[in-house]
Amino acid sequence: MWFFNFCKSSIGRKFFMALSGLLLLAFLAVHAFGNAAIYAGSKYFQFYADFLHNFPVLVLLASVGLGSVLVLHIVLGLSLFLEKRQRTGRYEVYARLTENTFASRTMGYTGLFILLFLIIHVTTFVFAPGSDTPISVVVMERFSSFFFSLFYLVSFIALGVHLNHGFFSMMQTFGFNHPRYDKTISVLTVAVPVAFLVIFGGIPLYFMSGAGASFMHH
Amino acid sequence: MKTIDLTLKIWRQKNNDALGGFETYLLRDISTDMSFLEMLDVLNEQLTAEGKIPVAFDHDCREGICGSCGAMVNGIAHGPVKLNNLCQLHMRAFNSGDTLVIEPFRSRAFPIRKDLMVDRSALDRIIQAGGYVSVNTGGGVDGNAIPISSETAELAMDSAACVGCGACVASCPNDAAMLFTGAKITQLGLLPQGQPERKERARAMVTQMDKEGFGFCSNERECQAQCPKGISIRSIARMNRDFFRGSLFGE
Amino acid sequence: MDLTANIPAGPLAEKWDNHRFSSKLVNPANRRKFKIIVVGTGLAGASAAATLAEAGYQVSAFTYHDSPRRAHSIAAQGGINAAKNYTNDGDSIFRLFYDTIKGGDFRAREANVYRLAQVSNNIIDQCVAQGVPFAREYGGTLANRSFGGAQVARTFYARGQTGQQLLLGAYSALSRQIGKKTVTMYNRREMMDVVVVDGRARGIVVRNMLNGSLETYHADAVLLCTGGYGNAYFLSTNAMACNVTAAWRACRRGAGFANPSFVQIHPTCIPVHGEYQSKLTLMSEGLRNDGRVWVPSAPGDSRPPSQIPEAERDYYLERRYPSFGNLVPRDVASRNAKDQCDTGRGVGDTGLAVYLDFAEAIRRDGEDVIFRKYGNLFQMYEMITDVDPMKEPMLIYPAVHYTMGGLWVDYNLMTTIPGLFALGECNFSDHGANRLGASALMQGLADGYFVISTTVANYFGSTKLDPVATDHVEFSSVKSQVSDRLSRILANSGKRTESSVSVDEVHKELGRLLWDNCGLARNAAGLTEALEKLPSIRESFWNKVYIPGDAHDINQSLERAGRVADFLEFGEFMLRDALARNESCGCHLREESQTEDHEALRDDEHYCHVAVWEYKQDEEPVMHQEPLVFENVTPSQRSYK
Repeated sequence: MWFFNFCKSSIGRKFFMALSGLLLLAFLAVHAFGNAAIYAGSKYFQFYADFLHNFPVLVLLASVGLGSVLVLHIVLGLSLFLEKRQRTGRYEVYARLTENTFASRTMGYTGLFILLFLIIHVTTFVFAPGSDTPISVVVMERFSSFFFSLFYLVSFIALGVHLNHGFFSMMQTFGFNHPRYDKTISVLTVAVPVAFLVIFGGIPLYFMSGAGASFMHH
Repeated sequence: MKTIDLTLKIWRQKNNDALGGFETYLLRDISTDMSFLEMLDVLNEQLTAEGKIPVAFDHDCREGICGSCGAMVNGIAHGPVKLNNLCQLHMRAFNSGDTLVIEPFRSRAFPIRKDLMVDRSALDRIIQAGGYVSVNTGGGVDGNAIPISSETAELAMDSAACVGCGACVASCPNDAAMLFTGAKITQLGLLPQGQPERKERARAMVTQMDKEGFGFCSNERECQAQCPKGISIRSIARMNRDFFRGSLFGE
Repeated sequence: MDLTANIPAGPLAEKWDNHRFSSKLVNPANRRKFKIIVVGTGLAGASAAATLAEAGYQVSAFTYHDSPRRAHSIAAQGGINAAKNYTNDGDSIFRLFYDTIKGGDFRAREANVYRLAQVSNNIIDQCVAQGVPFAREYGGTLANRSFGGAQVARTFYARGQTGQQLLLGAYSALSRQIGKKTVTMYNRREMMDVVVVDGRARGIVVRNMLNGSLETYHADAVLLCTGGYGNAYFLSTNAMACNVTAAWRACRRGAGFANPSFVQIHPTCIPVHGEYQSKLTLMSEGLRNDGRVWVPSAPGDSRPPSQIPEAERDYYLERRYPSFGNLVPRDVASRNAKDQCDTGRGVGDTGLAVYLDFAEAIRRDGEDVIFRKYGNLFQMYEMITDVDPMKEPMLIYPAVHYTMGGLWVDYNLMTTIPGLFALGECNFSDHGANRLGASALMQGLADGYFVISTTVANYFGSTKLDPVATDHVEFSSVKSQVSDRLSRILANSGKRTESSVSVDEVHKELGRLLWDNCGLARNAAGLTEALEKLPSIRESFWNKVYIPGDAHDINQSLERAGRVADFLEFGEFMLRDALARNESCGCHLREESQTEDHEALRDDEHYCHVAVWEYKQDEEPVMHQEPLVFENVTPSQRSYK
């Protein structure tokens, strides 16, 4: 009963939003670490992919877990997004005094965009390729398309914007707001999204810029 | 003495069940030394002289402390000047020829009573749910028996400065009362007198807040920006902490 | 009119203890059988409602605001006095008592004032327990400051918002009881009349301000905690809605009204800036600790202050009162400011202001120190006037601030109508002819938290109360009288003509009449003339006032009209009282009663009494006197030379 009450409370919903966000962030960190192998060359990247495939049960469990967290994040996010749209529209004229609200105002939109990206990303790299094509080849093939790379780049920018407010919002929801940590949090609010943008956004850039041409030769 | 001419678009609504709409009024020769509410007084005298019904709005102390007044002026609670209540907003903040759109503080939990007058008793009910220290008259110990550091007292005062005007709710994109509720929870949560009931207070007040129909918090900080007393969203973070403790680990 | 004060026997310091012991009690199990109505939710009302509900009585509380937290107690800035002597500077209950009674110019009852000083310490403890964030020293103990010229530091404060924090404390206690359903809270209800059955107050008639319906409520005792009547002057530091209606209606039903002309005028307010002005804003008088008051020496000197050389400035307070200088009491500072303006030396656009200059303090202590002390006040001043007091002198002028007069009450806070009690500013009891700074909050909370629970129990315990409910004929009779009066006020509604006047226009006219003739300085000629003029203002109200809208809706014009109608009747009491008191005392100077060097001269031989006015239908009011007896202090003439 107490847990049910907590879940349906306004702060409880935000807590799960922040918690799922944190888990997704953790996943992203691992994912980014693995993908960074791309910069080392196809051999290392393929090694990383094959290594993961050696633990099919673990991967399946992790995928299911990740999927549930993602679904929770999306469902909660959508409900909050829709409720917010309804409530914000209550004025004829509505203005903001807070500066730099782009990220917070667009959370719903960047979120939906990232969802679209995820669908394309997963169908492209998880389900679409036949089991006989090495993943490194698929990566190379896909990213050789300029528009595909551009779409990825835009998606990662959206992710950066989403994380910019998301990270701050998560800390605030968890109750981390204290003068002593203001500096750290404000640095991380920028540093975390930038780090992901550099690692992930670097991949399409890597291929777009032509630097990726040597990918398969390493 | 400088004067300006203004166009006012004011929300008029007979009561919560009636349909409302904007009415446009022209005001000439408004002294820039006037307060916003005095400007509305002038409008109302003008309407009365024309045999029309004046605009109803709540107001009382007119020195920014009772929290009665409040309206959205061009989409901002208490108007464009930061850190003041509507009664302390002076007309020098505007230029001749400006159009001011004046709307009531809107919230799902604030039924409109008439024109700019809304019912904010939902905020009272949040306090009634736990915004107090349960001590009967005569039950206190000597004022100096429990030392409280000067910093703690000042921090508690920062939150206690809330005037209960409802600007945080009105300005919030989500129509949330987090800043109001957080401010009271923070004040009492910081002081030793508030400790025994701290967890249960947060749980009870947040539950009531949700019951009233207020929205959730998306940490957009608009409440903090538009709060006439500059109350920080740190108080919301503290409320969240106390609420977790109250609802997940309470006695 | 029976003016027995019921002061308990025994030495001064033991009277309250004796009284508490000899007062009847009500058994806790029986308390729930008694209904109590509390009108007003300021410091006195909220604290009384909460305390009585905690004790177990059935309490109904009423406010005309949308929430009990809005009452004007909230606006008090300075602080609250208590005789804790935490600062070890020689304070004691007796000294607080003495300062209060001397500050009131020996026109208050000894026993009441002593009790106030006694319970002052409990108030602080109570408020701390509620979580009121009083200012603290670094070691964690409560901070004190000296306030309003007091020679000891006994004032407790929460920044410049002490009233707010104390009221929110009382409001939280009240809210707790509302949550427990021991108090039924009625918001947006304005008390229109008190219902007296068999000579006892048994209920009230209120107007529901949301839909205009008249509602009746019955009880075994009615507590009026409805504040002061400073708004009779139209412009005052009171909130817009403050009014005399509840007290005046009680007076019309037989409650004596004491010292209606005792009005405190605060010297440091922001001056009037235009005809549209709706209220005046107080600047804490703490500013006089560092600010120097001056005007140009030559009348009509319109140069900006910076261009007036030192030699051509008159620091008149320092000149006339060398030992107290700028820190003379409120009434002396106010009166002198008005004198300067009356002789053409006032400054500003209207000529109705004097300078309060911080230039010397800034030179002496530096900008940082002065800004740290007064920064928030300077910002407030700048917000209103667009002038920065760090660069230019402030303009200040006196304004009506507090009313010491009020419903006459005995030691039990009961009016001359049995069962009708008056608490806080709406009674007359503790401040005599002038109130000390930081004592209003103390009195409101003393009455509500600590006095009334004893005295109401004593009333219930010693009185046989027949059951009365709202179906009693008296309720419907009073209700129809209220309804008739509202119809009468609305009689001109719907037929606006060229000669129609608005409520505010009439109110301003009354305000000017009172300010000019019944303000800081009064004389018989002016008061008599004002008494002659008053009926015509009243007449113009009843015949020409135009109220838009009707009685069955939210109608703020009608609300104001009802209050102004009562001010118009009550104003006569103020004028008559001022005329009858041919002495200077406390806040006011009676021009016929001055020393050779134009200082106030009190006349203890003829006026050492409380003047209590009885309302008479269609006849002139009658004044009764309650003599004041001083057994523990000797009235002395104040001197600030």
